[in-house]
Amino acid sequence: MPIDALINQQNPDGGWPYLRGTSWTEPTVYAVMALLAASQSQAASRGFAWLAATQRADGGWAPQPGVGQSTWVTGLVALLPVAPLGETRHAAAIGWLMDTVGRESTLAYRVREFLLGNSLPPEQQFAGWPWVPGAAAWVGPTSVAMLALEKERRRNPSASIERRLAAGRHFLLDRMCGGGGWNHGSARPLGYDSDPYPETTGLALAALRGVRSPKIDLSIEVARGFLSECRSTDALNWLRLGLIAHGHLSPDFRPPADLACRTTCEGSLQLLLEHTGGAGFFWA
Amino acid sequence: MFSHTPGPSRITRRRWAAASAGLLVGCGSQPAIAPAHVSITRATRYDQRLYATIREILAAHRLDVRGRSVLLKPNLVEFEPAGAINTHPLFVHAVYEAFRSLGAASVRIAEGPGHRRETLDMAEAAGYFQAVPGFENLFTDLNLDDVSRTHPGRQFSSLEKLYLPNTVLRADLLVSLPKMKTHHWVGATLSMKNLFGLVPGAIYGWPKNVLHWAGIDESIADLHALFPRQFALVDGILAMEGNGPVQGKPKPAGLLVAGSDPVAVDATCCRLMRIDPFHIGYLRLATRDARARLAEANIRQIGDAIAGAATRFEVPPDFLGGHLALS
Repeated sequence: MPIDALINQQNPDGGWPYLRGTSWTEPTVYAVMALLAASQSQAASRGFAWLAATQRADGGWAPQPGVGQSTWVTGLVALLPVAPLGETRHAAAIGWLMDTVGRESTLAYRVREFLLGNSLPPEQQFAGWPWVPGAAAWVGPTSVAMLALEKERRRNPSASIERRLAAGRHFLLDRMCGGGGWNHGSARPLGYDSDPYPETTGLALAALRGVRSPKIDLSIEVARGFLSECRSTDALNWLRLGLIAHGHLSPDFRPPADLACRTTCEGSLQLLLEHTGGAGFFWA
Repeated sequence: MFSHTPGPSRITRRRWAAASAGLLVGCGSQPAIAPAHVSITRATRYDQRLYATIREILAAHRLDVRGRSVLLKPNLVEFEPAGAINTHPLFVHAVYEAFRSLGAASVRIAEGPGHRRETLDMAEAAGYFQAVPGFENLFTDLNLDDVSRTHPGRQFSSLEKLYLPNTVLRADLLVSLPKMKTHHWVGATLSMKNLFGLVPGAIYGWPKNVLHWAGIDESIADLHALFPRQFALVDGILAMEGNGPVQGKPKPAGLLVAGSDPVAVDATCCRLMRIDPFHIGYLRLATRDARARLAEANIRQIGDAIAGAATRFEVPPDFLGGHLALS
């Protein structure tokens, strides 16, 4: 996607739609990242202004302003550079992430399960993040929250953040599919092996940057296999980021020329990878 | 609004007896049941003959959609070409052409997959771009559509509100086009479970786990209650049995099942799969006030009879086991 096309998609309110229509938080964050990477500061500033205006009182962001609940997209906003977002806003976003866990990790749920005589399954031992508060934790939102918290930990070292990150790493490693890679959630739902997906495999590898283990090596091989056969720009973007995080993406890699780029998110992440390799926004 | 008067069907002694039994069921404390009409049609292949077959099915149900907006909702789940997971693209195109020929003002196709975010990439891999000319312009990704807040009318689930895509809320007629499959959580996924794909991933994530916590059967019943103007046409040509809806085995059933009452359509599909509809949670919820609606005697069949068309589906091994199956 050319950078001009991305700028043209910006809504008058400063945000971006997924395709067309209302401004949403997720595409706005990715568009702002791509514009910053391409030094298009004017359009990016209008995006920041939209984000500043849509932060909720609890410190989080809703998927779009009309929705009355902060969700996982808060982790995406927290990945943006702190200065243009505002120190206070960013701190509130980090606070929201720190306070949010999957429902299966809440005290109320665990007490209820204890009273019902249900033992805690091993994979529920460590807390991850949900798409929406009140639901279970999943690989996608956990990976995004971990990327944001890892960035914050480097900026502002904190034992509490390190504890959440450590739990998040366990959460992801416990959910790795038997042959490597990640599905959305459990590796064996209802006793059946789940198959890995390229997009979740790339996301989890990006969040597990710096982790060394045979399990990670196995997943890197799965990601490399996906890279050669993947027919989705979104999945390919995340595979590239996941492999870059572990130093396993060939500098000669180019996405297939005939692969369609359909949403603001896909186009923005692709631009970001072309301009910076993604490093500046995801883990610098 | 819509006319849903089905065409004439031959009254046999057997059907008369069944109807009488239905009347007897209705004579208890339950309110009188207006029988729903469900058609069962044999179709063994995804080929050009489907176009005429689908036109005949819609003609039998006498749908009047002239000047109306129709939204087709297939079941698109995985990157898989023409198999047993996704609603077959040729079937979807045949339905699209049939509604166009009935004079609908607009016919659109829309889906919001629950597992994978890349809806159009998945549609391309599943063969929709090849089977449906101009597919990209006819299609709305419900996961990314603009939304409005709704309040589920029956409150079966714990959901107080639900954001739903405007494309769905503005349609005059919602046409559910599911694949006939067994399902490891709810027993069978048919036209009502297919409505999970209306719920936007951009709000609720991938998967739409909020619905699981609110109760899967209850959420299906709530979604069903939100859309009173529906038609269901089930792709059971190549169906799925076992550990559905993704990891099951292909099951060539050779059937198309249709009707304006999704509860009656799904109950009939269950019988065709040799599954007891009274043991499907969402069907029980949706008929809470009139359970007799599920009785075979209260569903008027058009076309083939259940007895001759039914074939036993292997049920998900961990799902209630023998309780599901009809003897």
